[in-house]
Amino acid sequence: MSLLGNGKRMVTVTINKNQYLAEEGEIFLLTANRLGIDIPHLCYEKALEPYGACRLCMVDVVTCGKTDMTPACTIRVQNGLEILTDTPQIIKHRNLLFELYLAEAPKSEVIKEMAAKYGVTKTRFLKKIVHDDPLQGKCILCGLCVRVCEEIMGASAISFINRGPYTVINTPFYEHNPDCEGCAACAKVCPTNAIVFEDIGTNRVMQSWSDTTVPLMICPECGKPFAPQRLMEKVLTKPESGLIEEIKDLCPECRRKYFTLREIRKIPTNGGQA
Amino acid sequence: MIITSHEDLESVRKRGLTKIQPKHPRIGVGTSSCGIAVGGMQIFDRMQELIQKEGYDITLVKTGCIGFCKEEPIVSVTIPGKSQVLLHKVRPDDAERIIALALKGEIPEDLALCRIPDWDHITGNLVYGDGFESVPDYGEIRFFSHQKKVILRDSGLINPEDIDEYIGIGGYSAAFKALNSMDPDTIIEEVKKSGLRGRGGAGFPAGLKWEITKKAPGTEKFIVCNADEGDPGAYMNRNEMESDPHMLLEGMLIGAYGMDVHEGLIYIRAEYPLAIERLTLALDQARAYGLLGKNILNSGFDFDIQIATGAGAFVCGESTALAASIEGKTGRPRLRPPRLTEKGVFGRPTDLNNVETWCNVPVIITKGATWYSDIGAKGNTGTKVFSLVGKVENIGMVEVPLGTSLRTIIYDIGSGGAGGKEVKAVQTGGPSGGCIPVRLFDTPVDFENLNMVGTMMGSGGLVVMDEDTNMVDIARYFINFASSESCGKCVPCREGLKHLLLILNRIVSGKGTRDDIEILKELSDTVQKTSLCGLGQTAPNPVLTTLQYFGEEYEKLIAPEGK
Repeated sequence: MSLLGNGKRMVTVTINKNQYLAEEGEIFLLTANRLGIDIPHLCYEKALEPYGACRLCMVDVVTCGKTDMTPACTIRVQNGLEILTDTPQIIKHRNLLFELYLAEAPKSEVIKEMAAKYGVTKTRFLKKIVHDDPLQGKCILCGLCVRVCEEIMGASAISFINRGPYTVINTPFYEHNPDCEGCAACAKVCPTNAIVFEDIGTNRVMQSWSDTTVPLMICPECGKPFAPQRLMEKVLTKPESGLIEEIKDLCPECRRKYFTLREIRKIPTNGGQA
Repeated sequence: MIITSHEDLESVRKRGLTKIQPKHPRIGVGTSSCGIAVGGMQIFDRMQELIQKEGYDITLVKTGCIGFCKEEPIVSVTIPGKSQVLLHKVRPDDAERIIALALKGEIPEDLALCRIPDWDHITGNLVYGDGFESVPDYGEIRFFSHQKKVILRDSGLINPEDIDEYIGIGGYSAAFKALNSMDPDTIIEEVKKSGLRGRGGAGFPAGLKWEITKKAPGTEKFIVCNADEGDPGAYMNRNEMESDPHMLLEGMLIGAYGMDVHEGLIYIRAEYPLAIERLTLALDQARAYGLLGKNILNSGFDFDIQIATGAGAFVCGESTALAASIEGKTGRPRLRPPRLTEKGVFGRPTDLNNVETWCNVPVIITKGATWYSDIGAKGNTGTKVFSLVGKVENIGMVEVPLGTSLRTIIYDIGSGGAGGKEVKAVQTGGPSGGCIPVRLFDTPVDFENLNMVGTMMGSGGLVVMDEDTNMVDIARYFINFASSESCGKCVPCREGLKHLLLILNRIVSGKGTRDDIEILKELSDTVQKTSLCGLGQTAPNPVLTTLQYFGEEYEKLIAPEGK
């Protein structure tokens, strides 16, 4: 045990019988990955609370000689923590889960590659085939898109629909949803790249979400569309956006140009620059 | 009227007693869901019409269910000074005759099931008297004689819609004793000493849970009653709430006082409209007597209960999904810890107990922990109510001490297979449990022994299967149930159960192969070990136990080319 400069305690953890130093309180999944110990996972995202739905990161926690299978994303590092990540049992269950994923998202290259990395190349289960699937047969219902939309963006534009094997993700009633800000954070966090959207003309069309259409801001300087209007409005109302009046409506490119030109021409500013 | 003293309670008790044992005949019609289903309300309405029209001097009340569902509609007739007589399989046409005879101090002997000369309500004793000797005594009826009624002590005998009758047989005296003369910690100590374990299925010591909740940091806490009973074939909680709602309220009141909690919730499934109606009425009546609200029984303690209804999801019986549902969110379980006792409803420490757990509390306080722990077996004290259903002769609510063998329940109380058929197995614990074959019927019914044979106690459903039952189909039925009730959050439960169902469908339709059986075993194991909540972790039990005990039935269904 040692104390780091930043006040965080380093403690000893045992992973697969080897001892390591790790930061107390850290999520074990991150610790393991940082130490180069490979644990697959699909539903963990640093910006969100651990969710524990994908079940791929299951490891054995050893307490008093007894083991308990627990998702690594839910374990916090503490002194004396003992973990096994590669017992025959874990490998067996993990491989079967990969088979379930291969059947659930047969079109996902990410899943195929990930499963293949652990030696699973085919599934014994019936593959799910959905015609005109807005998520291209790639969704594994990890819920990251729903959670990021609700918890980070505060939009709650999409949610789980139905339950059990009939669960899907979409907008309410599969209709165009004006609550969507078009930020595309959902697509960014999606582990299987299932979410499709495209900027068409002056609109962003969220094709996966019932073609929800969000108008884009047009840069008054160059006339190009650049970011979703509703998202920009929200960002600009925040006092911490720190943008000066002259440039706040400009696209990123024109903003850079503005600053470059100002440097050259020494244009005096009237707004309080942050 | 607000009850503030022992004298007040005593005067209500006397009034209640005269309602149960009036100076004129009293007729009670069994109108729990089971009674209503076979015409109980028609009988009640017909009788009411006759009595009102003619102005007869007869008290007519609705009663709950005495537990012998097979014999419903059951009507009880009490002639002053004589044994109470239970009439069975009564039809609306019998109404006129029953009333005419009751006015003469007689009963229709052809409809008589049994007579009750006196009854031990545990919180009070009622003597009815002798008479009607030609009718068998209650204790001579096989279905009743092996039972021990603690939770069901009032069911079917008192009017669940009248608080006076509950107080009449000693109800709320435990609450009075607790609030006025017991230290809150003593109450928790008493419940701990009684050995009461959670009746929802997991069997966690109730007193310990109370203590953890009490010690949890925070001043605003909740106690919640889990009335989201949803196992196929299980209706113990429904009956407890429909037949004796005040027993639950009194249990919660005592628990709240012990834990120093001021807000209570009953989370009840919307599919139980009659239970909701009777609970709502019971809450209003309790408030009117000051048994809920501010300064209850002049003790300075405040407590009230609200009802929260579910929206038809089995998974909402899981504690964290239940809390989410109460908060208005989708009922999906979350990771534990933190447990509800730490972070429950609206983030506050919450004590969650099953209906029947709460119902045990008043008698523990009235009779004491030692009296209670003498019932049942060591480590499994008290009684448990089971709903004995399926292909068994005597269908109904059965209450026996824990540790009673399945054989006693199914053969002695249930009289074996329906219509003389051979019993083959019994499913305990609903979709989370397993099927136990006849050769293991000497297994005592308690939390540990049922686990050892691969099933679990669950909340108390016992579904009997006979020689005609296809056990593979039973497994398929339960997997279908669990799969459609899965919330869909984690992959083993959502996808794993779906594939178990597909494979079982294949086997039942005669297209299965030997490989399918291996996959069933393998997949069941993974679903059990890797699912997020109890639903998935226990859902494969019906498959695993039928494979273990009835493997030959699977073999028979395997297509010949698969051999």
